[in-house]
Amino acid sequence: MAGLAGCASWFPQTRELAESGMPPGLPEQVELTEVPFFPQQEYQCGPAALATVLNAGGANTTPEALVSQVYIPERKGSLQVEMLAAARRNGMVSYTLAPRFENVLREIAAGNPVVVLQNLGFFGAGWHYAVAIGYDYRLGTLVLRSGTQERDVMPFAANEAVWMRSGYWAMVALPPDRIPATADEKSWLNALAAFERAGDAARARTAYQTFLERWPDDVNAHIGLANAHYALGELPRAEAVLRDAARRAPDSVVVLNNLAQTLSDQGRNDEALPVIERAAAAGGPFAGAVAKTRATILERLEKKRVQ
Amino acid sequence: MKSVWARTLCRLLMVLMIWSPVQFAQAGMIGTDQVASTASQADRNTVLQFLDRAEVASQLQSLGVDARNVKDRVAAMSDQEVQQIAGKIQSMPAGADTTGVVLLLLVVAAVVWWVWFRR
Repeated sequence: MAGLAGCASWFPQTRELAESGMPPGLPEQVELTEVPFFPQQEYQCGPAALATVLNAGGANTTPEALVSQVYIPERKGSLQVEMLAAARRNGMVSYTLAPRFENVLREIAAGNPVVVLQNLGFFGAGWHYAVAIGYDYRLGTLVLRSGTQERDVMPFAANEAVWMRSGYWAMVALPPDRIPATADEKSWLNALAAFERAGDAARARTAYQTFLERWPDDVNAHIGLANAHYALGELPRAEAVLRDAARRAPDSVVVLNNLAQTLSDQGRNDEALPVIERAAAAGGPFAGAVAKTRATILERLEKKRVQ
Repeated sequence: MKSVWARTLCRLLMVLMIWSPVQFAQAGMIGTDQVASTASQADRNTVLQFLDRAEVASQLQSLGVDARNVKDRVAAMSDQEVQQIAGKIQSMPAGADTTGVVLLLLVVAAVVWWVWFRR
């Protein structure tokens, strides 16, 4: 019996879940039956798993369409980083969960299917993406869309054994008007910045607005929202957001620089100049960008004077 | 020798290809990704970041990804992600296949079922 008890330490998180009881606030049993199922083609569990969560989040895509976005022929598989990146290209904000079993359950309970990276092989090879869509705490089982199985039921411990080998890697991909149940402020903002970088400014705008409803004091999210407005050509709205940010963080070089640029682009270089001078006086890691903005403003002022 | 030159040329083209749109995006406004990343990331030389992107792009291409798709794939990654995989694509986990490996799963499931019920 002592030997068997030792086994428990092979599955520390399962053990913890079993001992601490049902995590507070979660239903005992959940299954997101409406999540679609795409049986994988050979080697292509990456595109299949990704298509599953993207479509669940409202995108309209197929594993076939995602092959050219995530699949690496000579590795016969897909990298975690590319799973995150491709979700962004399809209009969804991707987020890596903190490596905790409880977080997977929380996301499922919030209606968000979770991609997990498992290793099903004996030695090294055997990496596999599956999508967790349900659990039953009383039975201690997880329900996954996995490979060619539409409803793969795994004991928590079995899942932990194959999942822990990826360092408990798990991701969700949500439309920009949602926030993962287990998101923390800083990590979610990083996810939004990566999302914004990948393209769709209108969706990035929605994402930052949603973020600011939850965390209204976050200056970096103000900067992000203003950048999205700016990219969409909504300069007065970018200005308003940056002025709000400047009230909260009067010394932020980035806020001052972007505010000066926004004013200048609206032809208000006289107003922009003192703002950029304040940013220039502060120095710091963005001094190079500030100097460039300042030069642009001075040049525009000069041009106006000559005319 | 020829392949070395070909590879160098390839890298150079990759750098140029990736460089141009990013340069454009950086004019004037400071990007959110630069602000949100950690201090060490912000300090990281921009040139190094471009080289990392070129490295990732040429590695993806050498592993069989169609050249037409490489640019968009790399562009969708954050600086942090690029840095994470640059030079390591060959050895990182690549989720792939299930055939022939379900055995371990069965063994594990049989052995550990009791862990839950032992509560």
